[in-house]
Amino acid sequence: MTTEPRDFGREPAGRLIPWWRSYLVLLGAAWRSQFQYRANLFIMILSGVAWQGVGFAFIWVVVAKFGTIGGWSLSEIAFIYGIRLTAHGLFVVVSGRIFVLDTVIQEGEFDRYLVRPAGALAQLWNRQFYLPHLGDLLSGLVILIAAATEIPADWNVLTVGFLLLAVLSGGMIEGALQVIAASFAFRTMNTRQIRGMMDDIFSNFGGYPITIFPIAIRLILTFVIPLAFVAFFPSAVLTGRSGGLYVPEWLALMSPLAGPLLVLLAREVWRSQLKHYKSSGS
Amino acid sequence: MTGLMAYVGARLEVVDPLGIIHVSELVKDFRRPKRIKGALGGLRTLVTRESVIKRAVDGIDFTVDEGEFLGYLGPNGAGKSTTIKMMTGILQPTSGKIEVAGIVPWRERQRNALNIGVVFGQKSQLWWDLPLRESLQIIGKLYAIDPARHRANVDWFVELLDLDPFFDTPVRQLSLGQRVRGDLAAAMLPEPRILFLDEPTIGLDVVAKERIRGFLSALNREAGTTVVLTTHDLDDVERLCRRIILIDGGKVTYDGDVESLKSRFVQQRRLVVKLAAGVEWRGVGIPGVAESIGDEAVELAFDPAEIQVSELITAVLADHQLTDVAIVEPELENVVHRIYASAGMA
Amino acid sequence: MSGSALTVRQRLAAYAGLAKIQISAQTIYRSNYLVSLLGLLFKVYLLKEVWVAAYPHSRATMGHGQQISLSAQIAYSTLASVQYFVFNPWTLSGIPERVRNGQVAVDLARPVRYTAQMTFGQAGVMIAGLPFVIVALPFAILVGGAEAPASAGAGLGYAVSLVPAFLITLLTGSIVGITAFWTLETDGTSIIYRMVAQFFAGALVPLWFMPGWLETLASWLPFQATTYTPIAIYMGKSGSVVSTIGLQCVWVVVLWLILRLLAVRALRRVALQGG
Ligand SMILES: Nc1ncnc2c1ncn2[C@@H]1O[C@H](COP(=O)(O)OP(=O)(O)O)[C@@H](O)[C@H]1O
Ligand SMILES: [Mg+2]
Repeated sequence: MTTEPRDFGREPAGRLIPWWRSYLVLLGAAWRSQFQYRANLFIMILSGVAWQGVGFAFIWVVVAKFGTIGGWSLSEIAFIYGIRLTAHGLFVVVSGRIFVLDTVIQEGEFDRYLVRPAGALAQLWNRQFYLPHLGDLLSGLVILIAAATEIPADWNVLTVGFLLLAVLSGGMIEGALQVIAASFAFRTMNTRQIRGMMDDIFSNFGGYPITIFPIAIRLILTFVIPLAFVAFFPSAVLTGRSGGLYVPEWLALMSPLAGPLLVLLAREVWRSQLKHYKSSGS
Repeated sequence: MTGLMAYVGARLEVVDPLGIIHVSELVKDFRRPKRIKGALGGLRTLVTRESVIKRAVDGIDFTVDEGEFLGYLGPNGAGKSTTIKMMTGILQPTSGKIEVAGIVPWRERQRNALNIGVVFGQKSQLWWDLPLRESLQIIGKLYAIDPARHRANVDWFVELLDLDPFFDTPVRQLSLGQRVRGDLAAAMLPEPRILFLDEPTIGLDVVAKERIRGFLSALNREAGTTVVLTTHDLDDVERLCRRIILIDGGKVTYDGDVESLKSRFVQQRRLVVKLAAGVEWRGVGIPGVAESIGDEAVELAFDPAEIQVSELITAVLADHQLTDVAIVEPELENVVHRIYASAGMA
Repeated sequence: MSGSALTVRQRLAAYAGLAKIQISAQTIYRSNYLVSLLGLLFKVYLLKEVWVAAYPHSRATMGHGQQISLSAQIAYSTLASVQYFVFNPWTLSGIPERVRNGQVAVDLARPVRYTAQMTFGQAGVMIAGLPFVIVALPFAILVGGAEAPASAGAGLGYAVSLVPAFLITLLTGSIVGITAFWTLETDGTSIIYRMVAQFFAGALVPLWFMPGWLETLASWLPFQATTYTPIAIYMGKSGSVVSTIGLQCVWVVVLWLILRLLAVRALRRVALQGG
């Protein structure tokens, strides 16, 4: 059988599709790639749970022993932890395994993301779907839901809505900061360690009532690395503590806006730095 | 060369209505941080932010017409890949203009991507862990290609590139030749108007090269795709390209067809004569002819502008009995080699 | 396997060589090491703040009716973090990687027992980290806090007990590493191992603050002998020093036997499958 030669004419066959559609197509590809290896799904996810769970186990033992930390009960601290971890889980699940970003850029692999009709970041994030990240999200959700039913909060449409928005915003905050740091890789800077540090700060400091730290640290975690907006301020609002904080109450109430604002900033930074991409001399 | 440059410049000013790629005064500088050697060198490199500038592309002008098959040639480090990366939207030019199918590539990267296909011989753009079949399906969805067109294209490519034997094998398990064929299919699936190829045949065996040449030729002839090809394999060029741009040190040194390149750079022709059995070579006695005597044949190199071929053949026949005479045209390989060598490269 | 073909001296030289290879491999990652050191200081500081916030008064009651002061608890947590950091460098000896890419066949062909290769390779990784720790220790003490050993005997006991603690860390790590022969997958397993081991070692919370059932569970696992036991000796909270160290040594023997058993089976598996 021989096929007819084709005349492509002047109109290409492709057209641009909305960013979310290309994201889903790419996600599907990454997901299928992952299952080409018979990795043990269960063990991979469990490793994510173990990674995040051990931090919580520590808090749990300490609070179980002493009753409270800085005036917060076990379930309240678990609530902070749960928001932080769920937000983190959302971010890492959509962003894949991006700690290798520097090598992707230095070795010119990034070239291929620029010659396709889709966002470069969406392609980068779907370079690999990393199964343990599902464990992060899973443990976050379990802790959050369990804690939410325990804390003395008044759950109604308004508070549940605030919680959902806060979690989304929290994921955006972490994602935006990671993207901003990553952008500088286009200027052939090594960003991996900075990003690792940030991840460390988020996972080590993020689950505590930030008021237990000295004021200098609090201010840094609020205005330099805006970690307080991820989980602490929302928890303070939902547990009725927003009045007595070290910042004005309205700032804590606005925390669901912090994520979208930072995402806009990150978008600008990413775009401005992308212009400096040098590819690689072969 | 100045006359040639003026010619190119004139072409641009008129803005050729057929032109699909316009490049003018294109420049690309790379800034590299200066590395400081010695003790604490790494630290000082970080602190001082001194840098050295490398001008990879240095004021290039050309226009490519729709349907052309252009060979973009030059020695290593000439700036070929850098030019291609600017035309495909990967790099932003330092200065100068560039327009591909009416779009400024770096400014509208995604829209430009719809019009172009890109294949880098070294780097695959396929999904490494998935079979080729699935990569093509993903591309179909990413470009929202109409299913009927998708199917017709895939069928044609499978036949033309002989993809069938490895269509369902994960890409990471393919040989280099198979992988490049897969990349070509992926690049052409969305029916782009222009195909950019950066050394697609590097490291391939003869059979794979032939397949690829056949494909590119059919693509250009049947589908009407404009092709820009960089390669070090001059067989590729001789088989495929009607026009050549030679660059060196980031500047255009030749722009025209293959034939004029040969006549421009190689004055010499060679006359190969085979002597009949028992005949001794006695020489022709014409000044300006270089003789080299082999076991079976004698080669006479001469400049056709000074010596008539007929004059030379007559002189040979006067003294010798021959079984065969042939005039050898210069090979592109030798031509390009000489151009590089005369500029002190290669 | 064929280890008996070498003299003791040759064998020792081979072990030293294996460790050296890992030491030089590690120094390539110097800058990573520096960053992870910063991470360590950071955690030491964080743990201190958490303990300060958690302690209601200056004293808290331990599980068995003993008292432990805030400053002692902070000293524990600092020492535990640093010690855990030294004993558990992130890059393990790369066994899983080598099993996956078939390099393990080369390892097995060497005339030194495979278990010894793994153990000394890991020791090399740890030794490479020591200079960094010596630099970091004063900072850790500054950020966290420190206390002198409970007595001269406790100090000596601590030093001695570090040896079996180190060996137990090596052995448990190798046992997890060797499972790669069966699972061909270790990213997941080694993370789970690290996290579980860290917790039960007492690297984050001492066993005496764990709820009763958890403390019982932890004391029946080998991990506590790597971090908690030496520090408990140092602080004079361990009961008889001699019998505590004796128990550590029992663990060394038990784990070594388990590792040998697994190694023999793993080798047979490789032999059957042709690596
Ligand atoms: N990403 C880069 N960073 C710095 N220098 C580069 C980069 N890419 C190319 N160059 C330099 O620019 C010049 C042209 O390179 P290139 O376009 O790759 O040449 P060609 O493809 O013709 O071999 C070379 O000197 C090369 O070293
Ligand atoms: Mg090149």
